[in-house]
Amino acid sequence: MIEVESLRKIFRGGRGLDGFSLHLDSRELVGLVGPNGAGKTTLIKILSTLLPPDSGVARVAGQDVRSDSRGVRATVGYLPDVAGVYQDMRIREFLEFFADAFRLKEPNRTAAIDRALTRSGLADRPDDFVEHLSLGWKQRLLLAKTLLHGPKLLLLDEPATGLDPLARITLREQLKQLHAEGVAILISSHILSDLEDICTRIVFIADGKNVSEASSSAPEGATAPTIRCEIEFESPASEADPLLKDSANVRVVEKRDRLLIVELTGGPKEASAFLQKLLAASLLVTHFDARGLNLEDRYRRAFGGQPR
Amino acid sequence: MTRLITNPMIVKELLQRLRERRAWLLPTLYLLVVAGTASFAFYGATDLDMGGNRGEIQGADIGEVLFLTVIVTQMVVLLLMAPVFSAGSLTIEKEQRTFAGLLTSLLTAPQIWWGKFVAALLYLLLLLFSALPLLSLSLAFGGVDPVQLLKAVGSTILVLASICTVGLWCSSMFRRSVHSTAAAYGFVLVLSIVTAVAFGILISRWENHNPTVRFEGPPAYIQAPMFLNPFYPLLAILGGESFGQFSYPVSSYLLFTAIGCLAAALAMRRIQRSGDQI
Repeated sequence: MIEVESLRKIFRGGRGLDGFSLHLDSRELVGLVGPNGAGKTTLIKILSTLLPPDSGVARVAGQDVRSDSRGVRATVGYLPDVAGVYQDMRIREFLEFFADAFRLKEPNRTAAIDRALTRSGLADRPDDFVEHLSLGWKQRLLLAKTLLHGPKLLLLDEPATGLDPLARITLREQLKQLHAEGVAILISSHILSDLEDICTRIVFIADGKNVSEASSSAPEGATAPTIRCEIEFESPASEADPLLKDSANVRVVEKRDRLLIVELTGGPKEASAFLQKLLAASLLVTHFDARGLNLEDRYRRAFGGQPR
Repeated sequence: MTRLITNPMIVKELLQRLRERRAWLLPTLYLLVVAGTASFAFYGATDLDMGGNRGEIQGADIGEVLFLTVIVTQMVVLLLMAPVFSAGSLTIEKEQRTFAGLLTSLLTAPQIWWGKFVAALLYLLLLLFSALPLLSLSLAFGGVDPVQLLKAVGSTILVLASICTVGLWCSSMFRRSVHSTAAAYGFVLVLSIVTAVAFGILISRWENHNPTVRFEGPPAYIQAPMFLNPFYPLLAILGGESFGQFSYPVSSYLLFTAIGCLAAALAMRRIQRSGDQI
């Protein structure tokens, strides 16, 4: 659905994309993650034909964003980070305008508007003015408007910004539903727990480039899977230092008092072997929790845990 | 052609404009200003102290004064309003963060521009035509014929259309309405005042050098700065003793048309490349 190869877009200020690549299949829901200024919005704007790339390849459903921008727009539904609504229009008028803007003809037009009203949960108040809706309802209306023309790909740039927890849950459910209906989704967000819940894959980006999860701070040669272990000792955690020095596949994340948090390369088998080593060294372990890395851990690994 | 008429942008723009509070307030104020000025002109023209002996006042003189006052007042007020309606129409989309929705729809840049242009111009035409009965009063007094009236209305529409395209161009260039409106007002001021000042300087020099040919009117190159003045075609239409020297209205029409076409082309080009302003 998306083919992006060595994409470059340089602004006068310097930020943009610098050789970024991405491939997204039609059945994927991909989360785009990176620090502020990483190039997420630039990428989404290029894919939605708002910005022309300087060089590289950017295709949506086989259509080039530069030479076939009209075809791309018909395929894509784009929801920007801070999307506005026409406050002085009624809900139905708002949807009718965008149905006409996407050249929907009857009877598809009316059906699409009714579907959008149902999808947004506003079917019982189509004559209300948009300005009377809360932020959460406006976001639902905007998503419904974005889906009016039946796009095969959704490009969502920080769609949960400013939403309350309930509205975020609703948005997540809607995106899951759309994904189940066969809509490919590329979503950029800083809310990692949301992405972890819904995405089939995460792509990291920084300074306009792809970022590998195995950062320099990770154990050498580390690749997924990686296990994160939280260990509590009866005695100070520093007593495990000699053992840690001998373990090449272990990286200390945190060590204070009796708590030790490490990441180790491998799966449950390696975690079990590490626990056995600790016990064999006569260390009294009172708590041992081993689990796969969550997105926050992976983000820390990719970006070094430092804010940018 | 059908798409130009059934453009969804026009429907949306008109719907939004007519829902604004100023939709009814502005026509009311506009008519009050034009009617007030026309009344003042009428009583001025028929006043004994100002006009001399009442028996010497001709109906044609009253009609001419009334006509000139109303068309010039209309032009002044509409020139002040045109930037407000045109220069804010694209920037408001940027300020309200709705522009991305338009640019990523199947609407083309010319369609977006056309919708904004028609909506702005139609509202100005609503004002213009609402004062038409007042302007037509001058026909009853004589001194002005219907063709002159039609030409005056046509010239006003052409000038307003041209100003609207410039306003839209400013709106496409800036992110904030306040900046684009200021730029559009600057343009109107240059056209209205700078051209008149330039003409005043040129004609005074010309008259000093050509004292004997004064009544034949200045040549075209002396009048040239005034071709860009919004009031020039109106004064040229009226002609007569007072404004007989303004004799090239077609040059003015062509220049305003050229300005309009250029501004429209530049605005559409800018709309197409507005992704960086969102």
